[in-house]
Amino acid sequence: MHNQDFPQLASVESIKEGFESFGYICSDKIATAVFLAFQLRKPILVEGPPGVGKTELAKTTSQLLETPLIRLQCYEGLDEAKALYEWKYGKQLLYTQVLKEKLGDLLQGTHDLAESVERLHQFGDIFYSEEFLEPRPLLKAMQQERGAILLIDEVDKSDYEFESLLLEILSDYQISIPEIGTVKARTTPMVFLTSNNTRDLSDALKRRCLHLYIPFPTVELEERIIRSRVPDVDEKLRHQLVEFVHSLRQMDLKKIPAISETIDWARSLLLLHADKLDEELVRSTLNVLLKFEDDIDATDSELRQLIRDTTRD
Amino acid sequence: MPDSLVSFIQVLRTHDVRISPAETLDAMHVATTLGYSDRTLLRDGLGMTLAKTPEEEAIFLQCFDRFFDRQLADFSEEQQPDEQSAVEDNETDTASTPDQDSSESDTTSESSPLEEAAQSDPSLEELMQSELMQALMNNDRNALSLAMTKAGEAAGLQQIQMFTQKGQFTRKILDAMGEEQIRKSVIELERADSPALSELQRYRDILREQVRDHVESQYLLHAQGKTQQFMEDVLSKTRLSNIEHTYLHRVHDLVRKMAKKLAARHSHKRREYRRGQLNMPRTMRAGITNDGLMFDVHWRRTRKEKPQILAVCDVSGSVAAYAKFLLLFLYSLQDVLPRVRSFAFSSNLGEVSELFEQYPVEKAIELVNWKYGGATDYGTALTDFANLALDDINSNTTVIILGDARNNKGDPKLEIMQSIYQRSRQVIWLNPESRRAWATGDSEMQRYQSACHFAAECNNLKQLERIIDQLLKSTR
Repeated sequence: MHNQDFPQLASVESIKEGFESFGYICSDKIATAVFLAFQLRKPILVEGPPGVGKTELAKTTSQLLETPLIRLQCYEGLDEAKALYEWKYGKQLLYTQVLKEKLGDLLQGTHDLAESVERLHQFGDIFYSEEFLEPRPLLKAMQQERGAILLIDEVDKSDYEFESLLLEILSDYQISIPEIGTVKARTTPMVFLTSNNTRDLSDALKRRCLHLYIPFPTVELEERIIRSRVPDVDEKLRHQLVEFVHSLRQMDLKKIPAISETIDWARSLLLLHADKLDEELVRSTLNVLLKFEDDIDATDSELRQLIRDTTRD
Repeated sequence: MPDSLVSFIQVLRTHDVRISPAETLDAMHVATTLGYSDRTLLRDGLGMTLAKTPEEEAIFLQCFDRFFDRQLADFSEEQQPDEQSAVEDNETDTASTPDQDSSESDTTSESSPLEEAAQSDPSLEELMQSELMQALMNNDRNALSLAMTKAGEAAGLQQIQMFTQKGQFTRKILDAMGEEQIRKSVIELERADSPALSELQRYRDILREQVRDHVESQYLLHAQGKTQQFMEDVLSKTRLSNIEHTYLHRVHDLVRKMAKKLAARHSHKRREYRRGQLNMPRTMRAGITNDGLMFDVHWRRTRKEKPQILAVCDVSGSVAAYAKFLLLFLYSLQDVLPRVRSFAFSSNLGEVSELFEQYPVEKAIELVNWKYGGATDYGTALTDFANLALDDINSNTTVIILGDARNNKGDPKLEIMQSIYQRSRQVIWLNPESRRAWATGDSEMQRYQSACHFAAECNNLKQLERIIDQLLKSTR
């Protein structure tokens, strides 16, 4: 990535503009993070509540730079065979079978054991070679000729051991394969790690990353996001619905509605041809915003007041 | 600039943000990449490398503002109310009409009474020419803040530790900056009842206020962290029963911090091999080197079942304070020790785990104390415990008992302790009394000790932390 020239990444401003052209409205801070990640060749660790656009950031960066996005979804029990590489056992087995058949030809004319071994040594061994290597996302990202965006999603869901596995990749952009040696990245990929903070990540991992915390956006920013994602929504309704979601976020809920929910809600309101919020409408579409029955019940009594507050002006 | 970045990082460290040398280097790179011209940009960039959690980020932002805000508040704005009051003063004081000119002269560039007075007074003239007065009169905040910082460094302001030192440092800095001259002139002008007096007084007040602000912000920057560290250090070594009520919230924070440290250290989950499920890919892979013969078998690994902890706490008057912290500790460690069941007793014993599920830890502890506090009877308590939980104790169970083992001469029911001892993985007894007191009076500690794997004296946070650290090590 870094030996190439990306005018899109020349400054914080140009990154912001670039993102906007792909419908990703971001704060200065996010753009600064991307700028620094590119300049300093450091991974970004993106934290924040679910649904604020952590994964989207990586996707948009990949669109902006027109580089492939390689995604690794983390989960408990994820190990190197699924994340780094795996040997193609089947083919390796076949190879040994073929080798056995060819062994006679190969060793023809040798007289004693020492000579046969000598001959065998001269014979190039491809048993453990890249040909039998099945690359998994992390290795794949290293092998991309033109660089890649590597997204390691929800790294907090993975095991502690897996984190240590990532350290070599994150700091040196290389992977050690015991049988072959070290595979260095052809072009340094840009790495995004996302975390929902279900557990504390190790200091070693955090130290290698730029730390970006994306909070819920301000009313103004969220309105711009809605404008770019759901452009057909009437301006007044847009303001009202964003205000409404913001007041919902102040409440004590199990799952606070995020940006993605606001977008979904804006879309559903559009489909219903609504031009302003009223109680009936909100009540019938609230399940788009709130994903738990408890939350819907909890807001029910205050719904009227909330709507009155948001539609006042 | 790199120097000030390094001392900024030093400040962050005293505020409990952990920053490694590698991160310092990163911060330097960030600063050179982003440049120093855009303050917000620099702040965002540095924040990303130096602060690793939202809490640290909050600290970072606070420190950044204090540290890099050498730009002083614009005191030309502050003059407005000053002038107002000057005008009001004049209205009551009819004698000094020329003063009104002085307040106007700031906006118009006519010569002020101060300058007029200076023409007839050589010492005042000299003062007017000094850098300090020039900076004040021209509203040159940069020069003023530079002089202040320099004077502050010379006075060793960064070493400030106690708030009582603030006045002393303010004086030192003022002296170093040459405030004495202004003071003298003010006295002289006062004696002469000169019209220039109020103007000079105003400059003096501005200067004093600026220096005071500077010292204040430096105190917050440098001393606050140190004082806090000092406090925490002392608190962790004080007997828990002696900690005054006002410091309790700090202790809670401290316990949480310690718990977090322990949790991080022990969150590494160990796996063990359990025969039963074959791991086919690994076995095949291992078999390839043997010509496809799979005699080197590999098994799927499964997670070890998490151990169970039973905490039995004496909450009678003498031990309640300690029980509180043990429970606070255990429940703060829930991420690492997910199965803690707790029991409380004085004479009767009951399970209180539910309270901890329903309420926040502090509230739950209060309720426990209220419900179970009273006179101690270990015999009854142990019988109750056996009825409630003895069947659940197995080789995965650790039983922690916190109590002073003072049984008021009652029946100790040692046989129950012995059956707990035999069934469990380990029994730990924590006694807040010092070891010397264990065999005295009505203490049954020596007898109970015979049915414990481990008995320890535990009366401050340091000891508690050490014991729980050991507990975590041994239960995993």
